Amino acid sequence: MPDGSFAHPQQRQFNPYTDNGGTILAIAGADFTVIAGDTRQSEGYSIQTRYAPKVFRLTDRAVLAVNGFAADGNMFVKKVKQRLEWYRHAHAKDMPLRAIARLIQTMLYAQRFFPYYVYNILGGIEEDGSGAVYSFDPVGSYEREACRAAGAAQSLVQPFLDNQIYFKNQKAAPGTSHPTHLPLSDVLSIVIDSFTSATERHIEVGDGLEIYVVVARGRSPQGIEGIRGVQELSAQPNGDRTFILRRELKKD
Amino acid sequence: MDHFPTNWGRPRNDAFDAYGTYPIHQRAPVKDTFAEGVQHTQQPIVTGTSVLAIQYKDGIMMAADNLASYGSLARFKDVRRLHAVGTSTVIGASGDMSDFQAIQSILDDLVTDEFTHGDGHDLGPAEVHEYLSRVMYARRSKINPLWNSLLVGGFRDGKRFLGYVDLLGTTYSAPSIATGYGAYIAIPLLRAAVDGKQDQLTEENAKKILHECMRVLFYRDARSLDKYQIATVSAAGVTISDQIQIETAWGFAEGIRGYGAQTQ
Amino acid sequence: MSIMEYNGGSVIAMVGKDCVAIASDLRLGNQALGISSNFQKIFQMTDRIFLGLPGLATDVTTLKETFRYRVNMYTIKEERELEPETFAHMVSSALYERRFGPYFIEPVMCGLQKTHTGEYKPFIAATDLIGCLNFAKDFVVAGTASTKLYGVAEGLWEPDLEPEDLFETCAQTLLNAVDRDAYSGWGAEVYVLTKDKVIRRTLKGRMD
Repeated sequence: MPDGSFAHPQQRQFNPYTDNGGTILAIAGADFTVIAGDTRQSEGYSIQTRYAPKVFRLTDRAVLAVNGFAADGNMFVKKVKQRLEWYRHAHAKDMPLRAIARLIQTMLYAQRFFPYYVYNILGGIEEDGSGAVYSFDPVGSYEREACRAAGAAQSLVQPFLDNQIYFKNQKAAPGTSHPTHLPLSDVLSIVIDSFTSATERHIEVGDGLEIYVVVARGRSPQGIEGIRGVQELSAQPNGDRTFILRRELKKD
Repeated sequence: MDHFPTNWGRPRNDAFDAYGTYPIHQRAPVKDTFAEGVQHTQQPIVTGTSVLAIQYKDGIMMAADNLASYGSLARFKDVRRLHAVGTSTVIGASGDMSDFQAIQSILDDLVTDEFTHGDGHDLGPAEVHEYLSRVMYARRSKINPLWNSLLVGGFRDGKRFLGYVDLLGTTYSAPSIATGYGAYIAIPLLRAAVDGKQDQLTEENAKKILHECMRVLFYRDARSLDKYQIATVSAAGVTISDQIQIETAWGFAEGIRGYGAQTQ
Repeated sequence: MSIMEYNGGSVIAMVGKDCVAIASDLRLGNQALGISSNFQKIFQMTDRIFLGLPGLATDVTTLKETFRYRVNMYTIKEERELEPETFAHMVSSALYERRFGPYFIEPVMCGLQKTHTGEYKPFIAATDLIGCLNFAKDFVVAGTASTKLYGVAEGLWEPDLEPEDLFETCAQTLLNAVDRDAYSGWGAEVYVLTKDKVIRRTLKGRMD
C-alpha cells in the first residue's frame, strides 16, 4: 500500500467473464415470430468488430438470440445445435420449440455454479402453429412471452415494447379493443425503431441489424418477400419459412 | 535504475510502487510458494505487445515487433511473434511469450498429426482459428488461461481469413484487427485505410499502412520496439519477412512543453 | 446504497410546437419501501418556468426553497421577469457552488423563452448534480428511470407536436418508463405550457 503497509496484499485474480455489449429482441405474432439483434461486438470502449452475429437459426422453426459474454454465447449455441442434431439422429425430426426451450433451461442450469454469462431469447413457431418467444436468464429461469428485449439496451427498449406491443397505459377507442397480435409490417417497424433508438442512446449498440422472421407453415408471409434486401433461408417453401432482413445502424 | 537489489531479476508490478521506492524492510515477506497449494491464477511474465493485421487484395498481412518485455525491461529483442502454421496460415501473439511457445508446440504437433494421416487434407486458417479458440476457451473454463491475444490470418481456396482469439476464448473476425495498444492506436488508422477497401488494397499499400502503424506504435507504446516483421499470406503461401527497422526522428520532442522536467 | 436512488423518482421534459411539457412521478420512497404517493417534484418558478427536482427528497425541499428565494431576489433587484435560459444558468451555478459536497438532485427545467420579437420560444434544459448544463432540442430526462425514459422518448417523440399531442407523448413516455422502474411510479403529473395557459393533469398510474 502507498502508506507502506501490506495489510491487503496485491493480487490479480483472473476473471473468466467479460461483457461484449449489444442488444437482442424478439416479438411473437399470431402465426410468425421476429427475432433480431445488432451485430456490434465490443469490449469496454473498443469496438472489436462491426459484424458478429448474435442471432442463430437452430431448426426450420426455431431461432436463438444470444447476448452477454460472446465466448460463452458462441459455445452455448454450438452445444445447443449439437444436441438438436443428436435429437434429429435419434428421432428423425426436428425438436419442437417448447422442447428446445426446456433443453436450454437444463443446459443453462447444468452450469449453475459456473454459469454461461448469457441472456437467451428463443423465438419460433410452436407445434400448434402459433408464434412464440421464450426468454431465459443466465441460469435457466424461463417463460413464454409475446415479446422480450435483452442485453445492453434492455432498459431502453423493454418499456417501449410494453407500450407498443402490449399497449400498456393505452386505452382502446370506445367500443374497440387492442389487438392481441400485430401484423408483420407493424412488428418490423417497431423492431427497427427500437434498434435505431437504442443505437442513438447506447454506445454498445449499433453497426448492423439482423432480423429473422419465421412464418408458420401455410400462413401468409404478409408481403415480407417484397421488402428490400430480404433473403429466404428455408429450403422448401411449403414448410415453415424463415427470412432474414438486414439493416444498417449508425456506426458511431 | 532499480536501486534495491532484491528487486533485481523480479518482474515489476507497475500498478504499485512502479519505481521500487520502498526499502527492503517495508516489503512483503516472501511467502512459501506452495503454502496455498498449486495455484492456477497467474499473470503474464515475459510479454509481447501489439499485433496488427489487415486483409488486402490478395490475402492478409500481419505485423508484430521483435520485443519480449519483462515488465518494463526490454528483455529479449530478437523474438519472433509471428508463426506459420501449415502452408496457408499464420498466427501472431501478444501477451505471455511462454504461453505462446506452448501454443506453437500444440499447433505444430497438430499439423504433424494431420499430416501423418496422409489423407491429403490439411488445416487452413479457419480450422486453426476454430481449434485455437476451443483450446483458449477450454483453458479459461479451467481458470487456467493461456495469457494471450492471438491473431490468426490466412488465405485458402481463394478466400481470405482474419480472426482474433484471446485468453477468455472471445473470438471475432474483421477486415482489420489489432491487439494490445494497437487496438487503441492503430485500429483508427487501419479502419480508415482498410475497411471496405480490402478488395482494392495492393500488397505494396498494405505494407506501407502497416509500416506507418508500427512507427506510430513505436513512438507511443513504451513496451514496443523499432524492429518488426511482416507476415504475408496469399495464394503464393506464407512469407514471414526479415526484420524491418523503423526509422524515427525525435527532434520534435525538444519543442514539447507541458509535461516532463522542463524548467520553463 | 446510492444516495441518488434513496428516495426514487423521475422527471422528463419535452419540446413541442410553441409549447413545452414537463412530467414527473409522485412516489416518495425509502429505498424499496413506498412512503408517499403524493410527493411533488415539479415546481412553478415563474409564470412560464417550471422546475423538476428528482433525487434526494430532503434536497428537493431545500432546493425548491433556495430557487424560490433566488428567483424572488432576481425579480426584485432586476425589476424584470426571469427568463428560462437565465434560470438554467442560475440552477447550474447554485449547484456548482456545492461542487465538492453536492445536492443529490438532477434538475430538469422547461419554460417559454421571450424572443426579441416578443414571441415565446420553447426551452428545456437539465443538469447533473453539480450543474453541468444540457440544452437539448428534443427532450431531457432525469431520475431513477432515466435509462427507460431515454428509450421510450427516443421512440415516441417527434418534432413540432401540438400541445395535446405533446401531453400524450410526454404522459405515455413517463408512464411506460416508470412502470419498468421499481423506484418510480405511484401516480404522475404532467404540465403543458403554452403562451396563454398552463395545463396541469394528474395521471392515474399503476400503484405497484
